[in-house]
Amino acid sequence: MTVGVALNWCRGRGEEHGWKLEGDTESVRMAHKTLFRPTLILSLRLNNPPFSLSHNPFLHSQPPFPFLLNTHPISLPSTSTCTTTIHLWCSNYTTTTTTTTTTTTTTVEGSEKCYLDLTDEELMRQCEMDTFKTSGPGGQHRNKRESAVRLKHLPTGIISQASEDRSQHKNRASALNRLRSLIALKVRKTVDLDAYSPPRELLQILPPKSSIRGSDCGPQIGPNNQKFASGMQALLDLIFAVEGSVSEAAKYLGLSTGALSRLILSDDSLRKEVNDLRASKGMKPLK
Amino acid sequence: MKVTLTSVYSPYCFPTLLKSSSLSTLCRPFCSSALPSPPTCVKPQVPIFLRPPIYSNKLCDLNKWHDWAKGVAFSIGSTFVHSDNGPDSSILCRELKWLMEDAVEVPSLDDERVRMRIDIEELYCLWKQRVHERRPFQYVVGCEHWRDLVLSVQEGVLIPRPETELVVDFVSDVVSENEELKRGVWADLGTGSGALAISIGGVLGSGGGRVIATDLSPVAVAVAAYNVHRYCLQDKIELREGSWFEPLKDMEGKLAGLVSNPPYIPSKDISGLQAEVGRHEPRLALDGGIDGLHALLHLCDGAALLLKPGGFFAFETNGEQQCKALIDYMENNRRGSFCNLEIRADFARIQRFVIGFRQ
Ligand SMILES: C[S@@+](CC[C@H](N)C(=O)[O-])C[C@H]1O[C@@H](n2cnc3c(N)ncnc32)[C@H](O)[C@@H]1O
Repeated sequence: MTVGVALNWCRGRGEEHGWKLEGDTESVRMAHKTLFRPTLILSLRLNNPPFSLSHNPFLHSQPPFPFLLNTHPISLPSTSTCTTTIHLWCSNYTTTTTTTTTTTTTTVEGSEKCYLDLTDEELMRQCEMDTFKTSGPGGQHRNKRESAVRLKHLPTGIISQASEDRSQHKNRASALNRLRSLIALKVRKTVDLDAYSPPRELLQILPPKSSIRGSDCGPQIGPNNQKFASGMQALLDLIFAVEGSVSEAAKYLGLSTGALSRLILSDDSLRKEVNDLRASKGMKPLK
Repeated sequence: MKVTLTSVYSPYCFPTLLKSSSLSTLCRPFCSSALPSPPTCVKPQVPIFLRPPIYSNKLCDLNKWHDWAKGVAFSIGSTFVHSDNGPDSSILCRELKWLMEDAVEVPSLDDERVRMRIDIEELYCLWKQRVHERRPFQYVVGCEHWRDLVLSVQEGVLIPRPETELVVDFVSDVVSENEELKRGVWADLGTGSGALAISIGGVLGSGGGRVIATDLSPVAVAVAAYNVHRYCLQDKIELREGSWFEPLKDMEGKLAGLVSNPPYIPSKDISGLQAEVGRHEPRLALDGGIDGLHALLHLCDGAALLLKPGGFFAFETNGEQQCKALIDYMENNRRGSFCNLEIRADFARIQRFVIGFRQ
């Protein structure tokens, strides 16, 4: 579903169901800027929900949003006002919602970055998992070793899959690792260059010769380390903020342009992401 | 921007998924001691991947076999898919790759010779069985990869299914929040290869918790014993041969948990099963009687009797209809025995499991 379709739906059918767009289109704020899949958050307000939101997977009542596959139960505190804010994530690939009551305060700022801080279980909870299409009743009826796994990270629409292993369990683990790298590569956070100071996870992937890297950062973390993804994400945030200029980014990191180029070239997917950006800005690729 | 992470949509619960498993120690291949003699005289077969690489073959002969086998796989096209929803060429080719992985020792001896765990002549034979007789791939290689385990299987024992992997997540979720259940005695009824019992043994960890696994089939008990031993869990998992609760008379009101994936296919559906299943897997493991509920209802009755208050159970079923029938039975015919009954879906979104607690 595209953002446009979601918006129109909210304005049209949504209102029939008692859903209202909060404020005007102004309140539709840019939330995630995934590179090739623009994602928005629409804030909807709902007084006295006309239906119950439940994550009960075996209740097959048709949800009012056709794209609202499932939601977590919202327990509304009986004493407080029953206003529910629904954050609707829309992207070209997927749409999902999170819900929060106005009395809930457990909100996290800048969640794009936070995806990588989540534990495997938490990240998995944000995903929809499919085994590849099966027809028929499954279970004892079948022998087809359908161990391939596809994960769809609902907040961003990023899809990762794994099928190389013979056990579904292990394919799940590989798909999740792959998802982390994809999130690092594709989910961008805006950076305030005036007040920029590199986050620790970025410092950790820099070579020791960086002039701003303190000795407390420990040894340099390389691409084969699981922690590399978070550093790579922060590095890409910076490179996007300086519009692909490696020499500019290098200044913020206390490195020579050559040293930063080498770091970028050390990981194939990182190099590709930077070069795609540079190509879009008419710059020469790093080699 | 505000985003609530606590309430992000999740289609299923993945309680303790992918937690680096305490089973890692289980991956050690064999215990130093010899295998125990199983309770019956059935001798379990050794899967190909565990056999010693005593055959030396020419690489060109191996390639010749491989090309032949591939040709056989391709000749099938989608014939089996049309006849009984069986495997197509691409699935057979994937299996061929796995058969090579199990049979051939890497690295090779030199540029011309490879060491193998099975003779090439026998490989020809096995592949014919796989394709022409539709013998399940897992019986051909003698094992199935299931969660983080590699379990030995053979004719007479059900090949564990990916769907069943979720039962372990349910248990893991429950015991992570309840020390008492974690230290208690669990039962896996109709254990087959021992898949659930072994994984649950790992989930219970090094506390006092243990598992009793039962099966009516002597072959299943022997193979399960072999697998339990291979993962060095013989102190944690006890095998008992017999029908459902009959070997558990000493456990009335004492079980902390009970899991089972009993036969649940309605008798009339057995003849239409995919050949790999219907012709080769044991009917005892599949046939659940007229409506498929025969064993499941019996298990509900037994759960009421054997679980202690607060004890947990999880049953796998044929799908939505059976799940609803079970819940209905528990709420009406066993009123007051159970609480927090829930239906859980598998990854193909089929309502597959009924879980709950003893009141
Ligand atoms: C569907 S298989 C499940 C095997 C294994 N638990 C798994 O999930 O892979 C059902 C098992 O129940 C066993 N079984 C059938 N009738 C039984 C009975 N009356 N008492 C105990 N076990 C029985 C079969 O031998 C078979 O191993």
